[in-house]
Amino acid sequence: MSILLVEDDQALATGLLEALRKEGLAINHVGTGAAALHVIDTETPDIIILDLGLPDMDGMSVLKKLRERHGELPVLLLTARDTLDDRVAGLDSGADDYLSKPFDMAELLARLRALGRRVNTASTRIIKIRGVTMDTGTQHVAVDGAVTELPRREYMLLKVLMENAGRVQTRDNLESKLYSWGEEVASNALEVHIHHLRKKIGADFIQTVRGVGYTVKET
Amino acid sequence: MNSIRRFLVVVLLATITLVNFLAALHGYRTSMAKAELLFDEQLADIASVLAVTASGPAVKSNPNERSNSITFQVWRKGVLESASSGSPTEPIAPLVSGYTDVNFSGYRWRAFSRYVPATERWLIVAERMDLRFALAESVILESVLPIILGVPLVGILVWIIVGRGLSPLRDLASEMSNKRSDDLSPIADLEPPRELAVLIDSINDLLRRLATAFEREKRFAADAAHELRTPISVLKVQLHNLLRDAEGDSSQLQSLQTAVERMSHSVEQVLMLYRMTPEQFAERVVQLDLAGVARQVIAELYPRLESQHQQIELAADAVPMQGDTFALQTLLTNLIENASKYSGVGGEILVTIARNPAGVVLTVEDSGPGIPVDQHDKVFERFFRIGDERNDSGIVGSGIGLAIVRHVTELHGADISLGESGFATGLAVTVTFPDVSSIGQGTGTS
Repeated sequence: MSILLVEDDQALATGLLEALRKEGLAINHVGTGAAALHVIDTETPDIIILDLGLPDMDGMSVLKKLRERHGELPVLLLTARDTLDDRVAGLDSGADDYLSKPFDMAELLARLRALGRRVNTASTRIIKIRGVTMDTGTQHVAVDGAVTELPRREYMLLKVLMENAGRVQTRDNLESKLYSWGEEVASNALEVHIHHLRKKIGADFIQTVRGVGYTVKET
Repeated sequence: MNSIRRFLVVVLLATITLVNFLAALHGYRTSMAKAELLFDEQLADIASVLAVTASGPAVKSNPNERSNSITFQVWRKGVLESASSGSPTEPIAPLVSGYTDVNFSGYRWRAFSRYVPATERWLIVAERMDLRFALAESVILESVLPIILGVPLVGILVWIIVGRGLSPLRDLASEMSNKRSDDLSPIADLEPPRELAVLIDSINDLLRRLATAFEREKRFAADAAHELRTPISVLKVQLHNLLRDAEGDSSQLQSLQTAVERMSHSVEQVLMLYRMTPEQFAERVVQLDLAGVARQVIAELYPRLESQHQQIELAADAVPMQGDTFALQTLLTNLIENASKYSGVGGEILVTIARNPAGVVLTVEDSGPGIPVDQHDKVFERFFRIGDERNDSGIVGSGIGLAIVRHVTELHGADISLGESGFATGLAVTVTFPDVSSIGQGTGTS
């Protein structure tokens, strides 16, 4: 998986390059927005880590420009700004995730893994976590090799949880992804879907964070 | 306390009284002199009348009789021809034309003697000085008295007038005291008198400079914190790399990492505190679901809790209330992080949000060692004032976090209290948000 780091701070870039290379990731680095757009066009990476504070142009406009040409390219924003408004603006403008400085390396790696699961390496992609394999092309889910058919909502639910493995998905977040806006949602609909999923893929795979939401652990 | 009004009233009243008194004294003395002349003329007139009328037979004078206010004698060639009753038998005044002051019958008299050559008579008319003095005095006092009696009336008028005159000052004072402590906007124009305009101008100037200084300080702190974030990120990333490569003993790196974590935490806290100013707060209050905010915060914190093998549970129904999302996120983050710090590895945390008649109640309970009930008050003080002392326990943290908690509760007009958690041991922190109406108040009076 190839990553492009767009970061103007040389010391931070150096540290990140070393850390991510040790994780076995192919990573390149540019220091300006213009260079980033050039590299993205010529040698498109799988994931972009984009610092919002760039010397030549605002990170937001870099994001908008690359979205015009590469709609699906996963972008992780990195910034020293972190107010709620910035966060909303970041995600509205099409960033896939958002991490504010100073971040933990473990957190960055987890986010990159989550983004990596969404990357289309072929027409299909495979997400594999603890014996559960999901093929997002065929929409097949296999538990320890045995293929299981899942209804649409259960599949979508599992996909969101597996793509974001290691992170908690709140009830609000899951409901908004499963149901379109304005659709009537029974208060226990989510519990019912989770209950069905657990029967099919094993009781331990999805953890409940009581009152908050659900998570799938990575290991 | 000094009062301009009282000072003005006392000084004005004293001045008026003094001037009145002097005027009255002067009036009294000139009036007395005038009265003296008048009475003297009266004596002369009586003498003239006597000169014409007193030609009858001698009137037996009886010195024992009560003397009148006016006594007269008519002498002719050393013989008392006639006299008023009560008159002595001796001449009451020397037989010299003109006025004299004499004593007889136990009183002092004013006497007028006149010789009438036609009848060869001496006419002496005398008037008791004490009586004529008393008469003159009563007449004069009668006219002077209103001036003296008027003083209290003048006092009341002065009190009212001074009060009216000082009213712009009072308006200014009330405007100043109604100003919220964080309101640095200029004083609205009260159409002040010239004397106050200068004062208002300089107060407004001061407020402007103060606002600028605050703004600069705020921006400086925010900028400084922003500037620090990237270098701290570098430290964290490089430490990660060093720890990864470390062979054998990495305890020095571990302590370095702890220090970096602490610094990073403090910088974040300072940033948070500076971002939550009351002015911004007022703009940011929205209708929100506190339970939703709590779910988000817990989801964010979950990896850290998970790494400590801590269990967290949220017990909450949808609780709509008015508040600032960012501030409430910060509050919850601080309370949960605090609970996590003290409950240690494998600890349990319970977050409860419920609506009761007092408002919305948020409780964060942990399974840490807790704090004895009798020390709650004391700890609570320290909780907010000398948070640094807590670092002795070896737990990373700072008083800033608790200052933030207090700041957010103050912004929302909420109460905060400590109690025992529902676990076997541990602390419960309860924040009670009052019902909507009082939000946004009570921030300036602290």
